[in-house]
Amino acid sequence: MSAVAMMRRILFKPIDFFEDIQQPGVIRIRQALLLVVSAYAVRMISLYAAGFAYQDREPYQISALQELIWLIAPWATWCVAHWAVSAILDGEGKFKEIVYGSAFVLAPFIVFMIPVTLLTRVLSLDESGTVNVLMYAINGWMVWLLLLMVKILHNFDLKKTLFITVLSIIGMLIVWFVGILLFGLSNQFMSFVYDMVKEIRLRA
Amino acid sequence: MTISGKARFTIAAVLALSLLVPASVSASAPYDSYTYNSSQRDVRSIAGYMYDGSIDGINWPSGPLNRPESMFISEEGNLYIADSGNNRIVELDAGHQYLRTYGDTEGEGALSEPKGVYVKEDGTVYVADTKNSRIAVFDKDGRFIRDYPKPESPLIGATFSYSPSKIVLDKRDYMFVVSDGNTQGLLQIDPKGEFRGFYGANHVGFSWSRLFVKLIATEEQRRKLAAIVPAEFSDLDMDEEGFMYTTTIGEEANQLKRLSPVGVDTLNFGVSRQYGDYFSVGPFTMASFIGVTVDDDGIITALDLQTSKLFQYDKLGNFLFSFGGVGEQNGLFATPSGVSQNKDGTIYVVDRGRNRIDWFRTTPFADLVHQASVLYVDGRYSEAESLWQEVLKQNANFEMAYQAIGKSMYKAERYKEAMDYFKLARARHDYSLAFKEYRKEYVRENFTMLAAGAMLLFAALRWGVPGAIRFARRKKTANAARTAPVALSPHAKEGESI
Repeated sequence: MSAVAMMRRILFKPIDFFEDIQQPGVIRIRQALLLVVSAYAVRMISLYAAGFAYQDREPYQISALQELIWLIAPWATWCVAHWAVSAILDGEGKFKEIVYGSAFVLAPFIVFMIPVTLLTRVLSLDESGTVNVLMYAINGWMVWLLLLMVKILHNFDLKKTLFITVLSIIGMLIVWFVGILLFGLSNQFMSFVYDMVKEIRLRA
Repeated sequence: MTISGKARFTIAAVLALSLLVPASVSASAPYDSYTYNSSQRDVRSIAGYMYDGSIDGINWPSGPLNRPESMFISEEGNLYIADSGNNRIVELDAGHQYLRTYGDTEGEGALSEPKGVYVKEDGTVYVADTKNSRIAVFDKDGRFIRDYPKPESPLIGATFSYSPSKIVLDKRDYMFVVSDGNTQGLLQIDPKGEFRGFYGANHVGFSWSRLFVKLIATEEQRRKLAAIVPAEFSDLDMDEEGFMYTTTIGEEANQLKRLSPVGVDTLNFGVSRQYGDYFSVGPFTMASFIGVTVDDDGIITALDLQTSKLFQYDKLGNFLFSFGGVGEQNGLFATPSGVSQNKDGTIYVVDRGRNRIDWFRTTPFADLVHQASVLYVDGRYSEAESLWQEVLKQNANFEMAYQAIGKSMYKAERYKEAMDYFKLARARHDYSLAFKEYRKEYVRENFTMLAAGAMLLFAALRWGVPGAIRFARRKKTANAARTAPVALSPHAKEGESI
């Protein structure tokens, strides 16, 4: 099925959606990537197209690369950490299903963020309550979809769902910590090699 | 031929005349001029003040200045300099000519390192005689009248070390005294010399780290910690209405205060504002304001010892100008210690380190900004508008001007233009207010179009789109039936039906 049809399914019948993707032959990874990319596009549009009163950053303070990293890095580490944690603790979900499901969790954001952004162009600041409620609704919807995904894909009960989710978040933090550590170490190593080569060349 | 000859003559005449007209004198200030924009970045601006001259007293009969601490300028423009190193007060007339000296003779009136001076309208001179721990009073001819020793009161306590450094009198002749190192506020002393309580004390704010330390530290550790005391005042000035302007050292925000007669800060009411430079780059040093002066329009000029710069703010605390700095050139200071200004707006800065007093005149740009700002602060936005336009003509980066013009437009109900100006000033709140009014206006004017558009949109969503989808689907099934009359798999069918 097309990505649009799948998005309609997760928005209106999320339980069916997560049951469906466990069927063989439904998952197309290209669709997952498409959703992440469109979430990024929507995020950039919402930053630039918001009404002036609602822009909390100057245009020059918006970095396309930074926004990309802030979307891709948490999403990717979530997929990896969640798969690792759930695989250890008797989860039934496959990595492919987790990646696909986690990408489609972004659907409410992709669909409803642009209307909310357009709304900020016709609302003044003292009507910001409306915008805030809508934003909370979108975020809450995504959290709910995420929990639903964990529950259905792995066939957990509610308590275990929450437990695994928290563990996955801790796992994400650990992945980041290790990543930063490796980055620092490799930097050190590179500069060590560089210095050594320099010294050998000077002495030779 | 004759025409070209005439032209040649004209050019020659113009050239000859231009030699007679003196070329305009220009001098660049030894300091950068800037304002801060709403995102707290410094933006180049036109200098507001230029160095104009110095007083060092080299030809005075009683010798030159030695470590002057502060000064006072009377209504007539007479200068009274607290010349601390010479233990005297020097009076000069408005033309900076020497008049007389106070407190340099032996006897009761002898001063010891006086740091502050205040002169009443009748010419009576009050001296904060710091080393002698008293307030000394002289008449206008320089004769010692009386003194006020350390006031007695159970509120002050026996261990209180009294070293008065700055003094101001209010309309009731109550003395408001800054005592160095005192954290309880300004001392109020009545004309009889009785202590009348502390005034406008600073407060110790709440701090998470302090709470945390308090929770985990033992009794013994807690005793070893430095006592947390409120920050102390360093200088004060009073305006016509009796509001007290103070500077505080050792605080990061709200270092300038305008205290009402009951001691409430009305300048930073409900906000926390950082005065002086924002040290966003470079060393993390805190501004340390040690001098303040206020003019009749409520424009505040404060002296920061950390950068040796002067910072000027309007009555609402908006940044206007900055000048001065550390250095040897004229216009920079060694160790500035006091600031004062006369009726013309000339600002005098006492440079203790270089034993002289420098004065700065306003530039035409500063005069313009002051004029505009006074009208703006009074809420006379439309009168101020043309002045602000002139300011923008001279300096298009002056952000406050955009805000002020925007307010004027808003008041004149020209909301669309107001929005443009507020956008330039990055004033989101004001922009939003103007936008709301503009939206109201827009809807009222285009109501028919908007209503028709809404109805059309509704019709399209209600009947048009579902109809189109149904039509497309019918065509698709018809095509599918024609090309491949095979039953779809049950799974795909389920997907289709959503």
